[in-house]
Amino acid sequence: MPNSSSPPTKLQVLASYGLAIVLVSVALFVSLALQYSLGNPFWFFFSAAVILSTWFGRMGAGWLAVVYSTLAVMYYFTPPFHSFAVSASELPLFLAFVVCEVGMTQLISWRKRTEDTLRRSRDELEARVAERTAELRNANDTLLQKMAEQKRTEEALQVTRTELARVARITTIGELTASIAHEVNQPLAAVVANADACVAWLAREHPDLVEARAAAERVTQGATRASEVIARIRSLITKATPEKSRLQINQVIEQTAALAAGQASRNEVAIKLELAPELPSVLGDSIQLQQVIVNLLMNGIEAMSGVTDRPRTLRVRSESQKNGQIRVSVQDSGIGLSADVMGHLFEPFFTTRQKGMGMGLPISRSIVEAHGGKLWAESNGSGGAIFQFTLPSGDGPAA
Amino acid sequence: MKEQDPVVFVIDDDRMVREGLQSLIKSIGLRVETFASAQDFLLVKHPDAPACLVLDVRMPGLSGLDLQLKLAEAEIHIPIIFITGHGDIPMSVRAMKEGAHEFLTKPVRGQDLLDAIQKAIASDRGLRKERHELNEIRSRFDTLTPREKEVLDLVVAGLLNKQIADQLGMSELTVKTHRAHVMEKTNAESLAHLVRMAERLKNSARKSGPVSS
Repeated sequence: MPNSSSPPTKLQVLASYGLAIVLVSVALFVSLALQYSLGNPFWFFFSAAVILSTWFGRMGAGWLAVVYSTLAVMYYFTPPFHSFAVSASELPLFLAFVVCEVGMTQLISWRKRTEDTLRRSRDELEARVAERTAELRNANDTLLQKMAEQKRTEEALQVTRTELARVARITTIGELTASIAHEVNQPLAAVVANADACVAWLAREHPDLVEARAAAERVTQGATRASEVIARIRSLITKATPEKSRLQINQVIEQTAALAAGQASRNEVAIKLELAPELPSVLGDSIQLQQVIVNLLMNGIEAMSGVTDRPRTLRVRSESQKNGQIRVSVQDSGIGLSADVMGHLFEPFFTTRQKGMGMGLPISRSIVEAHGGKLWAESNGSGGAIFQFTLPSGDGPAA
Repeated sequence: MKEQDPVVFVIDDDRMVREGLQSLIKSIGLRVETFASAQDFLLVKHPDAPACLVLDVRMPGLSGLDLQLKLAEAEIHIPIIFITGHGDIPMSVRAMKEGAHEFLTKPVRGQDLLDAIQKAIASDRGLRKERHELNEIRSRFDTLTPREKEVLDLVVAGLLNKQIADQLGMSELTVKTHRAHVMEKTNAESLAHLVRMAERLKNSARKSGPVSS
């Protein structure tokens, strides 16, 4: 029955009373018919009529059916017949009938009410569920939107960060110009010397082809080396998006030290590499890691500019740690770090250098952290400072 | 004196440059010895021969300029041809002041370097000859007695025998005898020759101490 939860309309009430009257009338007719043919009063149809009236109508219809069927039974089926009186002998049976009818109405209407309540609860529940679902869907949409927004922000941030790192790299390269010029000039000098030698050996009265060939081969080597230097610098300048690959940190250190070698020798600094052999590979962007190492080397060289009473030595070490991480340290023999400087080292725009931008260390730290490692500074016991960083190693030694 | 073949020392920390220069210099028939660092060069005993040094200014450890000073302190006289990666004017001024023979920029044209080397060796040969002669003169002058040295000084100063005799309180005849001994011992062909030799000794003593190489 639809709309059972809402109060019944007048029409529904009338229809339920009508139904009760029709059902009891049908029961009366059937009972009368059976009584004439079978000779026995047959009251059970009234019970059915009461049950159905109560079930499909409501309590009111139920009561109407009870009253109507009681009257019908009194009039037609209890002696004296065709009167509303009930003989004393028939009274118990009749009362039992009435009690049964009333009991049934109560029972059925209680059952019906319970069912209606259950149905209502269920419907309410469903409605609530639908409502909650809608709410959740809304919340979800908002969340997705926010996430997309955050992702866009993060992407923008990443682009900015990468760009900043690149600018810092270019700045560093600017500082390294003399060093790089030396790096390129050196193989070119070798090329010119060897080419001249080659020509000279060929120009002799008895050309010495063995010497000429050896010289020519050195020309090729020198030219290759020059082009490698150029390629390395170009990659430092142009590459914008970081790309992680498996690499040997020792190679990165060696390449970087070569870039800074000129700068070091101009400042009378000896760079000493103490690299542990057979280190596991690391997963990282070689350009960014070079940037970190260049920064540390430049800082170290700078830190020793005032040192005159002891050798200016920059030690670069690599080693494998027990926890599977790889540690790279750059140790200078400079003036060391005061507690004050130490506290601000990694703050942006903090610099002790005249021309410094103060972005080197913060950028280096963010690069190392993006690689899952740490970068920190310590004062060296015997004067000078140690900058070191760790990187998680890849899955064992690379092939 | 029998002269040994000239030697060119090349000091550069870059293997490829070193080998190129070595090959280039060898191609014109000169003896070449190469070193990867200034320290290595100082550890080796150098032959007694006309030589020159081709030296990279910028090197890790002892720089080219440092080596120049060390050699000067040790009174090792080898003409130095500096090679520098870029025309660093203060550096070249300093090097030339300290007596660098030549200052070339990298990359060096082969012919420029070879010319510089030839000139440096010729110059070293001349200097060595001069040092050798000076040594000879000095050893001859060292045989003079104190009295003869006194007479020599006054002769060179342009005094006449009579004046010398007066000043030293001896007879003119004794002065003449001393003077004859001086001429003989120093192999002087004439008074003018004697004066020239004395002047050279004096000049070299002012410039530097006894010569060794």
